[in-house]
Amino acid sequence: MSAAAAVPPRPEADGELPVLEHAGTYAELTDELLDKVLRPPRWMRPALLLTFLGSLVLFAAIAYTVTTGIGVWGNNIPVAWAFGITNFVWWIGIGHAGTFISAFLLLLEQRWRTSINRFAEAMTLFAVVQAGLFPLLHMGRPWFFYWLVPYPNTMKVWPQFRSALTWDVAAVTTYLTVSLLFWYLGLVPDLAVMRDRARERWRRRAYAIFALGWRGSARDWHRWRIGYGLLGGIATPLVVSVHSVVSSDFAIANLAGWHSLIFPPYFVAGAIYSGFAMVLTLMIPARRLYRVEHVITTRHLDSMAKMLLVTGWIVVYSYAVEAWSAWYSGERYEMYMTLVMRPFGPYAFVYWVVIACNCLTPQIFWWRRARRSAAALWVASLLVQVGMWAERFMLIVTSQAHDFLPSSWGLYRPTVIDGALLFGTMAFFLFLFLLFLRFVPFIPIAELKELKHRVATEREERVHG
Amino acid sequence: MGEVIIAELDSPERVVQAARSVRALGYARVEAFTPFPIPELEDVLGVRRTRLPRLAFVAGLGGASLALLVQWWTNAVDYPLDVGGRPTSSLPTDVLIVFESAVLFAAITAFAAVLVGSRLPRLHDPLFDLPGFERTSLDRFWLLIRDAYDDDAGILDEAQALLDAELARLGAVVTRARLTEAGA
Repeated sequence: MSAAAAVPPRPEADGELPVLEHAGTYAELTDELLDKVLRPPRWMRPALLLTFLGSLVLFAAIAYTVTTGIGVWGNNIPVAWAFGITNFVWWIGIGHAGTFISAFLLLLEQRWRTSINRFAEAMTLFAVVQAGLFPLLHMGRPWFFYWLVPYPNTMKVWPQFRSALTWDVAAVTTYLTVSLLFWYLGLVPDLAVMRDRARERWRRRAYAIFALGWRGSARDWHRWRIGYGLLGGIATPLVVSVHSVVSSDFAIANLAGWHSLIFPPYFVAGAIYSGFAMVLTLMIPARRLYRVEHVITTRHLDSMAKMLLVTGWIVVYSYAVEAWSAWYSGERYEMYMTLVMRPFGPYAFVYWVVIACNCLTPQIFWWRRARRSAAALWVASLLVQVGMWAERFMLIVTSQAHDFLPSSWGLYRPTVIDGALLFGTMAFFLFLFLLFLRFVPFIPIAELKELKHRVATEREERVHG
Repeated sequence: MGEVIIAELDSPERVVQAARSVRALGYARVEAFTPFPIPELEDVLGVRRTRLPRLAFVAGLGGASLALLVQWWTNAVDYPLDVGGRPTSSLPTDVLIVFESAVLFAAITAFAAVLVGSRLPRLHDPLFDLPGFERTSLDRFWLLIRDAYDDDAGILDEAQALLDAELARLGAVVTRARLTEAGA
């Protein structure tokens, strides 16, 4: 289809695979990418319908929970936090990769981020949306959510800021807002090119509104560049802070297995790990179905696999530290929880799923062939996500199920509604993501043209210089 | 007033060269429109560095102070609650929301500053009426010379001929147009 397929991959200056394999002009590159949006593939409609039907399961489960009461979930004393909080932590963790890829790698000038950053940012937004549902529903009376915000009220009370729950509200809402602004700012120039290239009048009008009247003058670009870089710069510490705050929900409690200083970095590493896995889960089918293998190249797969391996090892290290500090503390409850209850207790199965999926799976990426194989990466990414969900479930449920007094022990079992909510958020997430693929240029066009220009200039310098 | 010269070029290198020549001939009110950012152009056209980062910094400080003030006043002054004898005003537990607020305020300010600085959002701009402008978002690079016909701009008469020759050398398509209003 494209002229690009004929070009053999030439290595970059750093000896790595090329980040862009496109031989055409700027116009060809642009139109090729816009075409994905203006002429959606045939599977789009049934896929949208299917995920929408799945989302109905979520809406029905939410309606049932809200109208009947929180008792329809399986959690009760002693296990007061179960699926709801597990799903929250899991989804928000997935949401970390987007900003990590866009912001952190932007600061490190990793050029392979360009083709996948918007993709990852959109994933972030939609994952945070799913995550936000769970604490809201978990309140039982979600219509009183604004009680968490400090506002002068007739009850003459204020939120208690020494509680980690208020930190959560600040962290998650800030993260959602900043991710949205970052994503949208990057999108504006591409919406402008959509506006200028769409044929139908209504479509031009619609994109014109969202493009905000972008003109692309040198002054506009200057301000945009500085503003975008700055947002990236301040979003980077934000990524690290969000899951640290989430981990404080556990770490400041006195339960065995929760009360640990390793939690913030441990949670952040796990979050980036699962987020990268989710990017791969979505990216590998999309690059194939949309035939953009020359823009999202094998180099991207290779780099992402290396990131999985690195973050996977940080997670392994965290598990080891957790076990070691439990033993070294000499505290019988800590030792029991981490060394006996989790690996051999009633939820032992979950524990071994965690070890198999999170610790063993990424080890295949020591081999280059696995790193460059889309199929291997895709399967591994699914396993990592299962493993990360299981890890959160294990951490949250086991500590509550067996606390200090055996007389107050109890087990947790999920209900159908718990399962419907988890399944429903997955469907709703995919639905939102498909809408994004359908209406928005999902590969950053202006940034890619800039990359193309820079790659061409460098090549010329190497030839002549 | 309102009459401008438009030079359309087909590569980022050429638009930088053309801009350099145009500026050297004494033209001052020169704008470039490109499909992607070209940092070299900013120096050539004398784009002043934006004060956006300073603005965002001040906003971040403001957000941080506000968050600290709200937490201290609500939890230590207006509604003190004794939790296990711990201090009602405790910086370590306040610092997370202080950080989040700083980031939130700085980010919103940075975003708003990009839009306001570029006079966005706008529904229309006289430039959009110029034929071919829509290609500047695709693969064309425009130089727009606003003071080509200004009598008081102090540009030498010879400049006009030199300008035409230079733009022709770079393969630019040159047109003259009249903008209905001074689009800033």
